[in-house]
Amino acid sequence: MKHRIMKIVLYIVLALLGVVTVFPFIWMVLSSFKTNREIQSIAQSLLPEEFIPDNYLNLQQTFDFLRYFANSLIIAVIVTAIVIYTSCLCGYVLGKYQFRGKNIIFGFVMMTMMVPWSVTIIPRYTMFMQAGLQDTYISLVLPLMVSGFGIFMMKQNMEGIPDELIEAARMDGSNEFQTFHKLILPLCKNGISAIAIFQFLWVWEDYLWPYLMIDSESKQLLAVGLTLFNGRYSTDYGGLFAATTISIIPVIAVYVIFQKRFVSGVAAGAVKG
Amino acid sequence: MFKRRPLQSKSEVWMRNIAMGFLILYMTIFLIIPVVIVIAGSFHQWNPLNETYKWIGIDNYIRMFSYPTFWQSMANTVIFCAVVVIFRVLLGLAIAYALNSKMMRHKTLFRTIFYMPTVTPLVAVAYVWKIMYNPQFGLIDNIFGLDINWLFDSKFALIALIAMTVWKDFGYAVILFLSGLMSLPSDCYESAGIDGANAWQTFRYITLPLLKPTMLFVVVTSIISYLQAYVPVLVMTEGGPGTSTYLSSYLVYDQAFKQYNFGFASAISLFILVLTAIFTVISFRVTGAQES
Amino acid sequence: MKRILSLFLVLTLLFSLAGCAKGKETAAASEGVTDTQADKGLEIMGENVKYDPNRLVNGGEPITIDWWIWASEELFRSIADAYEEIHPNVTINIINNPWDGYFTKLPLALQRGEEGPTLFNVHNSYENLVLNYMEPYDIDTKELTADYPSAASHIMDGSIYYADYGLSTGMIYYNKDLWKEAGLTDNDIPATWEDFIEVAQKLTEYDENGRMVRAGFNYNNYFYSLALGLNYQFGDNLFSADGRTCLADSDGMKQAVSFLTGLYEEYHIGDKDFGTDCEQSFYQEQSAMVFVWGFFVGNLKDNAPDLEYGTFELPTRDGGTPYAYYRYNGESTPGINRNATDEQKEVAQDFMRFFFANDEVQIALSQDGGLIPARTSLMDSEELKDTPIVKTIGDHIDRYAWPGAMPSTVENNMKIATEDILYNGKDVDDALKTAADTISIDLANIDFTSSESLYTYYEE
Repeated sequence: MKHRIMKIVLYIVLALLGVVTVFPFIWMVLSSFKTNREIQSIAQSLLPEEFIPDNYLNLQQTFDFLRYFANSLIIAVIVTAIVIYTSCLCGYVLGKYQFRGKNIIFGFVMMTMMVPWSVTIIPRYTMFMQAGLQDTYISLVLPLMVSGFGIFMMKQNMEGIPDELIEAARMDGSNEFQTFHKLILPLCKNGISAIAIFQFLWVWEDYLWPYLMIDSESKQLLAVGLTLFNGRYSTDYGGLFAATTISIIPVIAVYVIFQKRFVSGVAAGAVKG
Repeated sequence: MFKRRPLQSKSEVWMRNIAMGFLILYMTIFLIIPVVIVIAGSFHQWNPLNETYKWIGIDNYIRMFSYPTFWQSMANTVIFCAVVVIFRVLLGLAIAYALNSKMMRHKTLFRTIFYMPTVTPLVAVAYVWKIMYNPQFGLIDNIFGLDINWLFDSKFALIALIAMTVWKDFGYAVILFLSGLMSLPSDCYESAGIDGANAWQTFRYITLPLLKPTMLFVVVTSIISYLQAYVPVLVMTEGGPGTSTYLSSYLVYDQAFKQYNFGFASAISLFILVLTAIFTVISFRVTGAQES
Repeated sequence: MKRILSLFLVLTLLFSLAGCAKGKETAAASEGVTDTQADKGLEIMGENVKYDPNRLVNGGEPITIDWWIWASEELFRSIADAYEEIHPNVTINIINNPWDGYFTKLPLALQRGEEGPTLFNVHNSYENLVLNYMEPYDIDTKELTADYPSAASHIMDGSIYYADYGLSTGMIYYNKDLWKEAGLTDNDIPATWEDFIEVAQKLTEYDENGRMVRAGFNYNNYFYSLALGLNYQFGDNLFSADGRTCLADSDGMKQAVSFLTGLYEEYHIGDKDFGTDCEQSFYQEQSAMVFVWGFFVGNLKDNAPDLEYGTFELPTRDGGTPYAYYRYNGESTPGINRNATDEQKEVAQDFMRFFFANDEVQIALSQDGGLIPARTSLMDSEELKDTPIVKTIGDHIDRYAWPGAMPSTVENNMKIATEDILYNGKDVDDALKTAADTISIDLANIDFTSSESLYTYYEE
């Protein structure tokens, strides 16, 4: 009996928390179908008086969100792919090889995680300005090619792979590059999924660096596009809701696709410590 | 442990050289050189717009310590960071523990829901919450029948930012703790059950110590990221009302890219780095101490 | 897994292709054509600054220049269009970077030399950030000051890098319907603050629970802006006699700030928590009167085209003519990028001459921006003599003081101080003292001297 009450209480509490978590999204989506007058009226209701798709339709006219969306997607996919590869490669070497200076290098990798953006952004900005890389996508991809977090996670992942497996492959005459690409990478699917989600999100929501670097409106990314939109049409709450809805959905989609592997990947990487 | 063996084949040496060469080159360009530049810059009056780069000794540091907004922002940052980390850990651990219990079903659904805010872009979320906090037509005042001007009241503005951040990020801790819990060996629990330990005792003396690595990971990564937080401030309050929601990283942004005092901003950012290091060491110590 | 991944990649590819295709379209459409006809039989424009449209720019070869703005895209587009019509070989790209961050992005872009914008709008409070990147106008300063008297204050080392196209100041905007609803007529337009409070009280409404549902007067996000200048009515200047120190903590300023907080706290004609953005609140008819500068005219047109509104001047303490009602500021003309290519600069110089000499351009700018034209001869033009600002303030703009191109630190720190006072309950004296101190630290690094002492009635 006590058990059942506990169970019910637990369910209620979790369900409540779940509602609190989801509610802002529901409110956002519903509000994106309201007129501006309705959004700002003092008498509020959750459901729109009438579902109006105008906010979405106008959005594309006033602001090329599809384009920002595409830009962000391209950059996020490229960076994520590169980071996965560099993390796996460095994680493999750091996790499975023994050589002098390994610990020092790994120490520096951990330091990259600790150094705040505010320290590196001024010199990075100065360097990129001098190299004439402003307004190019290279400037967005270059500084994100290596992730301390990713290397750390993959190193842990790699250490979980039995040495015997690698030895066996070596016996079969496969060289290290083949072993890495054909044997190791497929074994790390879970870890890769975890990094993919983290990294994709970080790129997707990164704001300051693209804001500083990209000038052409046609090259701008979605997070910056949102602030541009808000700066230009600060009164258009409906439009802002619609734009936000559009910018949130794809990440949720990526997450839902990868989520199964994600949890086990995190488990293999972070938790072991 | 694994067998220690030296690198044998040529391809292994190549592999190591390529990977580590790349890594060292990369870290030199994006970590070591920048830190050196910042340290040097913090001793200069540095404005890239009129190409000033003048040695002024420790003036930037003197100015920093006498700048009222600096101390305010540091206090705000520490409060913000501490509160968010505590809530993130507690909420994350509690929910993960509940989700992991044998009583629960629909785990995937709950897990997906709790992680949803975490995977959404912060800028977007901040705009939505800014409107949610509006005293006339915002969601929060309307639902709870309150009349609070969240973002313009110095008593609530920082709390408002904290609440949004906790909402956005607790899912991260849920996922991490959940995977930590799932990977715990089940035989510990069985022996505990035999010993007649109650649920709390099991949690306190068996689960928690075993979760130490996860805990450390969550706490350290959270501290690092919250000491650097600025987007909520940028979008929602711009540091106001007055200076009551200035966070130190926002101050760096403001000084560097609004006022173009690169030298001064460099000094502040180095202070944040030192603070991050101290906090990281403390959390290692605290978690380590619990063990003994 | 693989299928999902490939689907993802295909989607990405499609998106990028769509993006590229669109990009090419716009690029092709914006390419100018070669212009061979110099003499188009057009009239020469202008009084003292003259513009002859009957000549080729850049030898008639196609050329593109970028022009950065932060608001009023349609207006600036129409000006660019008018110029492109005369010179079809020139393409002017308008790039709209919102005000928040405009002066973060602009210096970055200007550091890129010729790849930065050729023309860029300037706000005089950020003069010190961009002056290094500006090319002086290739226009005789005597001619320019003859047409635009206020340009005289912008002469630096014998050249003008930017001038004003209009003068702006703050006014009270009121909602005519709500005004009528409260039983008020045109005769009720207040001249003294006392009358103003009475009117505002009539316009304020509460619901049955005593919660405000309409504010009589709302200055919320412009508190600092209103306070900076109201000090004149309370007997103090904004800067010291040598023009080097900001008197943000003068007695006059303290009184002005206390007076304004009193409007909310004592007379309850508005509330710091009601309508945190007073412009929005006015659009939604939730605030009956607001204090905003001239640019509000354009915003109202865009955001609340059906709203009937009127304007009146800031009331004074005794209803008579004060030392100064308030301050005014110039709306600056675009700057030219010193590091642009010679061809781009030639076009930009030609464009600026057109900009100054063309009456329609100046009239449109003043109409849309709610400005008093800096080209004084246009004050009496049909189109401008009835605009809200000219009608309200035109007669005695001489009773508005100009503190000079105040560096942004003044407004920023006053904003912090006034928020501290209004929202954080900080003591007026302390808050203003902090502001004054911080401003003087910042001003020490900037070469700025106030023009306040040039005010006509400075000796009063």
